[in-house]
Amino acid sequence: MAKYGFLIDASRCIDCRACLVACSVENNVSMKSTRIWIKDSAVTGEFPDLKRYSAPFHCMHCADPSCVSACTVGALKQNADGIITYDNKACIGCRYCMYACPFEVPHFQWDQQFALITKCDFCVSRLEAGQAEPACAATCPTDAIQFGSQKEMLALAHDRIEKQPERYINHVFGEFENGGTSTFYISPVPFDQLGFPTIETTESPAHFNRIATEEGTPIIAGAVALGMTGIYLAMEHFEKKPHTDRKPNGTEEK
Amino acid sequence: MTNTISRRDFLKLGAATGAVLAAGQMLSPLAAQAARESGQIDQQGDGYISSMCEMCVWRCGLIAKIKGGRVVKLDGNPQHPHSRGNLCPRGQSGLMNTYDPDRVLTPLIRVGKRGEGLFRKASWDEALDLVASKMLEIKQKYGPEAMVFSSTHNLSQPLFENLLYGFGSPNYGTQRSLCFNAMIVANLMTYGMEEPGRDYKNVKYIILTGRNLMEAISTSETHDLSHAIDAGVKVVYLDPRYTKTASKAGEWLPIRPGTDLAFHLALLNIIIGEKLYDQSFVSRYTVGFDELAKEVQRYTPDWAAQITGIPAETITRIAHEFAAAGKYALAHNGWRTSNFVNSFGTQRAITALNTIIGNWGVTLFPALEEGAGLGSPPQPPYPRISALRLDGVPWKFPFVPLKLGIFQELRNGIYNADPYQAHGWFISRQNPVLSIPDRNKTLETFGKMDFIVTVDIIMNDTAWFSDVILPEASYLERYDPLLPVGDKAFIRQPVIEPQGEAKSALWIYKQLGERLGLADYFQYADEEDYLRQQLAPLGVSLEEVREKGYAEMPGEGKLEYSWNTTSGKVELFSETLANAGFDGMAKWEEPPMPAADQFYLLTGKVAQHTQFGTHNNQLLHKYSDEPRLSMNAKVAAQKGLKSGDWVAVTSEVGKIHILLEATEAIRPDCVFMAPGFGHISKGLTTAFGFGASDSVLHVTYTDPVSGGQALSQTFVSVEKIAGAPNEPVRKPLHLGE
Repeated sequence: MAKYGFLIDASRCIDCRACLVACSVENNVSMKSTRIWIKDSAVTGEFPDLKRYSAPFHCMHCADPSCVSACTVGALKQNADGIITYDNKACIGCRYCMYACPFEVPHFQWDQQFALITKCDFCVSRLEAGQAEPACAATCPTDAIQFGSQKEMLALAHDRIEKQPERYINHVFGEFENGGTSTFYISPVPFDQLGFPTIETTESPAHFNRIATEEGTPIIAGAVALGMTGIYLAMEHFEKKPHTDRKPNGTEEK
Repeated sequence: MTNTISRRDFLKLGAATGAVLAAGQMLSPLAAQAARESGQIDQQGDGYISSMCEMCVWRCGLIAKIKGGRVVKLDGNPQHPHSRGNLCPRGQSGLMNTYDPDRVLTPLIRVGKRGEGLFRKASWDEALDLVASKMLEIKQKYGPEAMVFSSTHNLSQPLFENLLYGFGSPNYGTQRSLCFNAMIVANLMTYGMEEPGRDYKNVKYIILTGRNLMEAISTSETHDLSHAIDAGVKVVYLDPRYTKTASKAGEWLPIRPGTDLAFHLALLNIIIGEKLYDQSFVSRYTVGFDELAKEVQRYTPDWAAQITGIPAETITRIAHEFAAAGKYALAHNGWRTSNFVNSFGTQRAITALNTIIGNWGVTLFPALEEGAGLGSPPQPPYPRISALRLDGVPWKFPFVPLKLGIFQELRNGIYNADPYQAHGWFISRQNPVLSIPDRNKTLETFGKMDFIVTVDIIMNDTAWFSDVILPEASYLERYDPLLPVGDKAFIRQPVIEPQGEAKSALWIYKQLGERLGLADYFQYADEEDYLRQQLAPLGVSLEEVREKGYAEMPGEGKLEYSWNTTSGKVELFSETLANAGFDGMAKWEEPPMPAADQFYLLTGKVAQHTQFGTHNNQLLHKYSDEPRLSMNAKVAAQKGLKSGDWVAVTSEVGKIHILLEATEAIRPDCVFMAPGFGHISKGLTTAFGFGASDSVLHVTYTDPVSGGQALSQTFVSVEKIAGAPNEPVRKPLHLGE
């Protein structure tokens, strides 16, 4: 089965966040969580010689995913098409995947009563329903996010760098990082300047995780899940303020 | 698996929004049945329905995904030329406007003092009877002109006009003078059309004058510009701020505010002086070239350099580059172009630049007449209206089209009772409390009104100060008249049933019209009948259009070399303007400058919000930046200020408190704030009290030719204040944890 892939071009991204909103709606992401972030170089340089770059960042969908290997209950799985899916019914909220992922992608939904992980799944339900693209790629007004087969996307990435070498650095992020992924990035500046994690190894640490998880720690994991719910309830308790307490954060005087 | 998540979150959303959604979940017979019959949704209420976005005025085509009678996702319609399958963040968030927990879902009648926020629910009959009786009482006592009507341009505007002109009032407010009056009037005086279309297919060189297309998104045009840049097209971008557009442009020129006119005059000086223009186009299709050539002789690059702060060599080089691209060059006339009282001159200079380079028919195209080829219900002529308009159009401002008007002058006319006292204000889909400069004055003006009625979907700030609120169906819940674009007419149709008692504008205006004795101006049985009458000349059924999302129209506009001006040619010099005592062509006019300890107050769009109407949308709130005042980092350091400090910003008319952001991305003599924040309606749970309002600070200045409000002509001082007047700063979610 052909693998799916993304190509994300930082030279095209305008940081409009249409992809973030589209993803939130498509996947019913809670109001305090997100599956996509903007990695931003911020404005660098001195007026008026300035630069600024950004790119949306979400699950890389690794070829040998650390998160899957770290998951003790099989909630995270790798499909034949390369998509790393997440089953919230199986998840116990242990957060091992969060520690395992070198890209810091899985996020805990602290505002949920039964706090679970949220992460990009290529809008798999959308693709299954026959829609052509994941929500982010479909809506991007500048085609900064493109979707296709992994092979095509990688070829397109190299093609663009080759045709406009002055526009891009010669690095396809995701081609080798963590042993290779299904999400590729090209950029006018080195990826650390965009705030991307620096992934030294070209080999996934997944096999070490497997040694740990396949020995099995489900009992501990169960306890962790209970603990997390406790933390949630405590946070709710401390966070809750009556609505009337809210003060304006911008005030005006006549 | 995903379905489980969905169901759970829907239940949560339902619980949060209470009984409101219970009504929304029920499919009432009308739209649901129609959609089922046309096969768009199945028996479970699942499916896809084409319609049109209304999160800004660009009107992208959309496809709504419906599940169990609720809209769960919006995607761009690939067949629509404005979206081409894409939607911007606002378009993506649109369903959250519809499912806003703060929706007003029954007519409301005020019971407390104005601004106290106390209302009681009323039936449509009671509310409409009350509105009609108040309007008729005002008409009888003071004449129809004592009733003011205002609405932001939208597809139901023809019916709104029927209401106001049928009633006999000349007082018609729109939002345009706060936006692009300068551009529209300049185009009318040059080309005889409001706004020629732009085409990026063949473009090779673009000058963007403050047109921040990467943040003020017009989906298809933003897409076109982005792809042009990808293809190596050079973009020169003039803006005092390093915006996201500046970061994509080939060359960013941080020009001094108010001096774009000088820059363009110098380009004209070089291109004409060195004979780099399209001589055949100029001689065949223009008038007034000699006057223009003579005038621009004095605008040398050295002269412009001193004014604009852009080096003379740069100006000369750009003139040469622009001229070398010839008819493939495009000087973009911008969008919100009313910035200084000389903005009309800037716009005239831009049209002159495009004209002499001969890009007509290559990067600029004639705009099609809106609505041509569609039918409409019969209606009698309007009654003769002899009263003067409160906004001074045309008796003080002869060149401002009646349908644009001057909103800030309308407010002033009411405030000053000049030339007479107005007593009632009918407001639809508009938030003048926040949009018109000098909010305190606007609120005082509201105090002079005997009766205010607002049509809206939420309790916006204007509704909060109104006597009656009529709840409109959201754009996903209603029909509007068809929108012709090129060779197609697109439909906005309900993709779900209206929630609560909300009704379409077509219904509200007709009901009100009938109570005011204006039934003849509303000769349609219901919304569908109105659309059927529109479609009649095309011979297409409404059912077919509903399913396809559009109707084919006969013929596309063809390129013509005749213009609807007095001379029939492109007017570089306008006798009409000159005869009225204005400059016949672009001439330098020195804009006012801030004092030494003051800053230009700049405002401009962000990608996640539209004007004053989207700040209560929870999804946009989630993903937009904390509103801050941007100040040049070095200037901030000199003033002992740093990012995160609270500052007081003071203008001639008001004062706000806001968080500071010290940044390199702005000129030292400017500060910037995003508009539309600082809502004062407590009926807006998300937007109330979040950020501060730019309108509190804006001073009212009107350009005498175009009527445009000079929005960047407000100067402010900025001082640090002790302590934060609020709760901790919201953490921006999109940047990660």
